[in-house]
Amino acid sequence: MDKRLAKELPNFRPNKTPVKKTVKEVIYHIVGVILSLIFLFPIVYMLATSTKSETAYAESVGTLKMFLPDFANMSTAFANYKSVLLDYDIWKYALNSFIYAAIVIVLNVLINGLAGYVMAKLRFPGKGLLSFLIIFLIVVPVETSIIPLYSIVKIMLGLKQQMSVVGVILPAAISIFNVFLFTQFFQNIPKEYEEAARIDGANTLDIFTKVIMPLSKPIIATVAVFCFIGVWNDYLWPSMILPSADDGTWPLLPIQTALITIKSIEGITTGEIMASLVITSIPIFVIYVAAQKYIVQGFGTAGLKM
Amino acid sequence: MLKTSLIILVLFIIAFGGFVVYDLATAKKRKVVYRFKSSLTAYLMLLPAVILAFVFIMLPILYSLGYAFTDYYLLRPNNINIVYFQNFKDFFEELSTKGTLYNAIKNTITFVVGVVPLQIGLALLLALFVNRAGIGSKIFKVCFFAPVVISLSVTAFLWEQILAPGPNGLLNSILGIFNVPPRDWLRDPKTAMPCIIVLSAWQGCGYQMLIFLSGLSNIRKDLYEAAALDGANWWRKFWLVTWVGLRSTFVYILITVFIGACRILTQPMLMTGYMDHTVTLSYYMYNKGYTERWVGYSSAVALLMTIFIGGITFIQRRIFREKK
Repeated sequence: MDKRLAKELPNFRPNKTPVKKTVKEVIYHIVGVILSLIFLFPIVYMLATSTKSETAYAESVGTLKMFLPDFANMSTAFANYKSVLLDYDIWKYALNSFIYAAIVIVLNVLINGLAGYVMAKLRFPGKGLLSFLIIFLIVVPVETSIIPLYSIVKIMLGLKQQMSVVGVILPAAISIFNVFLFTQFFQNIPKEYEEAARIDGANTLDIFTKVIMPLSKPIIATVAVFCFIGVWNDYLWPSMILPSADDGTWPLLPIQTALITIKSIEGITTGEIMASLVITSIPIFVIYVAAQKYIVQGFGTAGLKM
Repeated sequence: MLKTSLIILVLFIIAFGGFVVYDLATAKKRKVVYRFKSSLTAYLMLLPAVILAFVFIMLPILYSLGYAFTDYYLLRPNNINIVYFQNFKDFFEELSTKGTLYNAIKNTITFVVGVVPLQIGLALLLALFVNRAGIGSKIFKVCFFAPVVISLSVTAFLWEQILAPGPNGLLNSILGIFNVPPRDWLRDPKTAMPCIIVLSAWQGCGYQMLIFLSGLSNIRKDLYEAAALDGANWWRKFWLVTWVGLRSTFVYILITVFIGACRILTQPMLMTGYMDHTVTLSYYMYNKGYTERWVGYSSAVALLMTIFIGGITFIQRRIFREKK
């Protein structure tokens, strides 16, 4: 087959021999492992340090031992994790972050999804102005509006401390970029689906919840993951809005803000800091690995034309 | 503040109403039919997003825009005077003294020129590298993305230890094997900015890799087969099939990376602090606004920055947009 093709098409080159292919595979994986190490070394360092006592850490600084766990004292490898979890109540802050993230994800998907659907599929007067505003707010970077935002939220919520949670959640529930992503994704859903549903007597809201949303898992996963990462890693805004932890009551602060406080506690060891960093990184990692297939699909189908 | 907000809201509704009337008036000419019920549903479905966007996005931007023309000092919120263009005059006066502001602009330009090609190039190479079947490439993909999800304060802390001065710093001790004298990487004006550029590209490129990958997945496989039958080598396949297919993805990535690079703030803030050889424009603005509390002046810098970045973005879109 290859020979015949080679005769007819002078430029055609037949496939490489199996041996050459195996060699190529091996080289590919070696290069891949080296590259991965370049991208993973801070995480390796973080994991290694989290198992060390303060003296073991001090000895390892500046040598390659920084990237290896403390093999001499493997029995106490989890001591730092234990003290972080039990003494500093880190799980309470983590739970807060989970709750905030869950609410933000639900609101964000519903509100921006609805807006994206309207912008992609419905016709109404005044649409031109709104689509201009969307592109404008994405393309033109708007610097520092955090002080006016702070004043607005404070006026809206009054001075009640419990209400400040709303001030963390509501501003995160709207994202112009997510509206844009949803719009681009929905534009690629064929009209026939909606028309079929409409003939069956479904109204617009039914179509959105029962036809469009089930077809949009990739983009929902993408938006959800980035919402989660955003809420989980944010510390500046919550630290401005939320009251700092009082004794006895349940704290309102999310995990990253708590981390900043934990880092500055007197007498905390580098190993304990690293252990708390590991704990805060795990959920993000798990969620990302679980959803990464959808993320590529989500961006791919949305098309991202600016 | 409440009164001003209400006035802005009324103005916004009037502007929107104007557009609605204009659309309705020209509907016949454009051969568009608007149905009342469908339009009403559209407005109702848009309402939550519009309210939130108005309160939490539009209002703060408009206020920040307004503050640029005042002498707003954060600790004196009840005594704000309009000073017209005084803040902008101050800005250009300070620029002419070649002080911190001059350095900030110079450093920001250095950073943008360095990081944009480096980050996009790395992202493209990594995307091409993992764009194949097999369990290996899947694992590599997760590894390359890992720095993106780790929060910046963690990576900055780790890199600080790697670039630590003295012969015991990790990088210095490795270079010591080859008899290279130790350096203070982050405090040496020659090496500080390049270090921050490499760190940022390393940290961010996984995200763009993912977007490039989704662009690659949209390129039809038969184009490669056709190119192979025509005897195209690897480079021609890349240039004629992959690159053409990635064009709109590339424009998107170029614009977002460029905007992100212009706003660089966290890396120098966490790694070196407010120093002349690493201060950036965003950092300067942040320092004026929060640390020195001159919100008015800081807002003026923000406005100039927005105009500048927006202008360049507009030019980029013009140059790279697909020709029809």
